[in-house]
Formats: sequence, C-alpha cells, structure tokens
Amino acid sequence: MCDACGCQTHTHDHDHGHDHTHTHDDSVIVDINRSLFAANDAMARSNREHFDEERIAVLNLISSPGSGKTTLLEHTIDKIGGEISIGVIEGDIETERDAERIRAKGVPAVQLTTGGACHLDASMIHRGFHQLQKEPGGDSIDLLVIENVGNLVCPATFDLGEHERVVLVSVPEGPDKPAKYPKAFTSSQLFLITKTDLLPYFDFQVPEARKEALSLNPALQVMDFSATTGEGFEVWLDYLRKLVREKKAE
Amino acid sequence: MHEMSLVQGLLQQLHQISDQHNTSRVLKVTMVIGPLSGVVVDSFKFGFDVLTQQDELVKDAELEIVIPEVAYRCSNCQSLQKTSGERPHQCASCGDTLLIAEEGNDLILQQVEME
Repeated sequence: MCDACGCQTHTHDHDHGHDHTHTHDDSVIVDINRSLFAANDAMARSNREHFDEERIAVLNLISSPGSGKTTLLEHTIDKIGGEISIGVIEGDIETERDAERIRAKGVPAVQLTTGGACHLDASMIHRGFHQLQKEPGGDSIDLLVIENVGNLVCPATFDLGEHERVVLVSVPEGPDKPAKYPKAFTSSQLFLITKTDLLPYFDFQVPEARKEALSLNPALQVMDFSATTGEGFEVWLDYLRKLVREKKAE
Repeated sequence: MHEMSLVQGLLQQLHQISDQHNTSRVLKVTMVIGPLSGVVVDSFKFGFDVLTQQDELVKDAELEIVIPEVAYRCSNCQSLQKTSGERPHQCASCGDTLLIAEEGNDLILQQVEME
C-alpha cells in the first residue's frame, strides 16, 4: 500500500481466506463476510505501528465545528510547546487557515483538505504524516495531534491509528451532545468540556453532561476547563505530559 | 454522510468480486449493518441508490440489509442481554451498570448474487 514512501505498511486480511460459492441456475451466490471498514482498519493499524516505532503519542480530536479545537491547540502550544515537541495535522473541507494558525505558533503543521468529505481516514493520515515529517521540526515530534473535520458524526467511525481519541464539547453547544451523538463518546477515551468560563451565561450543567457520557461509556475520562482563562487547564496539560512520557518509556 | 464514501468502497469491492467470478451483473447485495456501526441505514440506502445508477454492473442490484441485535455483557456477572442497539440501564441479573457492547459495530458485506 505504501511503495512510494518506503515505510512499512502491513495489511492483515484475516477474514477472507476463500469465498463460498453456490450456483443457482444462471446466477452465482458468493458469501463474502468482509467488513467495509477492513481496508481503513488495516491502514490504521499500520499507522499505529509506525507511530509506536517512532515513539510518538497520537491524539485524534473530534468535535462539532466552532467548538474550539484549534483555539485549544493554540493555548496548549503556548503552555507546553517549550517542553513537548508538538506536530499537528489539520483536517478541514477547505482552506489552509487552521494550519496557518498553528504554524504561527512555531509548530509544524500540515493541512489536509478533504474537498467535501466529512471525515479524515487512515490513508489521509498516512500521507499527512509523511508530509509533516518534511516540515521544519516535523522529524522530531513527541506528540501528534490530529484535528479532525468539525463533525461529531462521521469521524467517529474511522480509526486513524491514534492512541487516544478525544471528544470535545464546548459549553455553548449544550450538555445533550453525548445522548445525541453517542458513537463519538463510546469510541473515545477522553471527553473535554471546554469554554467553562461561559457557564454563567448558558444552561449547561457539567454534572449532567458528565453523567450522560459516563452512562454511554463508563471508562471515559472527563475533564472540564477554560483554555482562555486557564481554569482547570493544568489537568489537560498533565494528561498530555503523562501520555508523552509513557510513550517514550515503551 | 460518510455513508457515501462507504458505498463507493462497496462498489469497488463488487467490481473485484465480479471480475473474480467472471460475471457481468450484480443481482443482489446483502449487507449487515450493526446498530452501533455509526452508519445510518437510510443514508446508506440513499447512497447505494444514487451511486449504482451510474454503474452498469450494479445498476439493477437489489440491496438487502440485515440489522443484527447487540449483545451487552455485564462486566460483573458476565451475563448477556440482547437489545436492538440501545444500552440497558443495568444488568438484568445482578443490577450492575457497567455493560460492555459485544459486536454491533461492524458493517459487513455478507453475500453477493451475480450472473
């Protein structure tokens, strides 16, 4: 799958040693039993093995448009960019804008424009990562953050090869997102409730959102903070430090 | 609408399968869509209807969709509860609330009928 760049990709097609064929008069019936996710999942596994070899911790950040993913990254870079080498892959339908905002912070960033597609997939990440490695500073990354296309539905279905999936909901969006978009929450390891400085102005009960999410995914880790005021932000930064430390020690 | 790109992937597979079996027309496609797969059945059908119209091989193909139940296993007593997708609030046997979904996440091309 990746002859061009020379890195090792492994495809594991365990599920189709042979087809089972029956013939009925003129027609042929073939039992396939193959997942439509199989090709993406194989590519994602290959990405993850590659990240593991390079000891890079990788996050896949999922949220609705406008909930503040890029702003979260800007504040994160400001706080710990000096101690952790961060790289960013930005996914958007159009424009280089988000990658430009990240580069302005002195961090290597690649913009993937999907041209209409509502999610990133594992082969886009494979290409994007090789592109990122050619950017200044892109060959010595400790932490790769993939900012998915703003959408709480489709990105939840596609494994990119990340180590942890992070779903983000900001206070103005309301606390009912876990109930309405369960897949994003059942497939994530971490749930961030952001823009908590706006809590006085919105009817958003943090315990309610927390409870809804945990009823869907009892193993989910939940944090709430405001990146702008910095309140509660240290917990997120400590989470990133720990993630990177553990990946280095593996 | 990631269903559209999933249907595109399906059509590619159908072309490969048809080539392998030397057939020229797909009559029927059977898909298993897990309730937790994140795939909206109506969107998948819509994508299939639209994209097959432009493709001689599958133009008249019938799409059959099988929706399996989801089994939730209690992490305390290991007993299973089957539902059509929704998570039970608690285990029917021991009342524990930590239930883990087994299967129901996948989107599977099960069978193809061709001539």
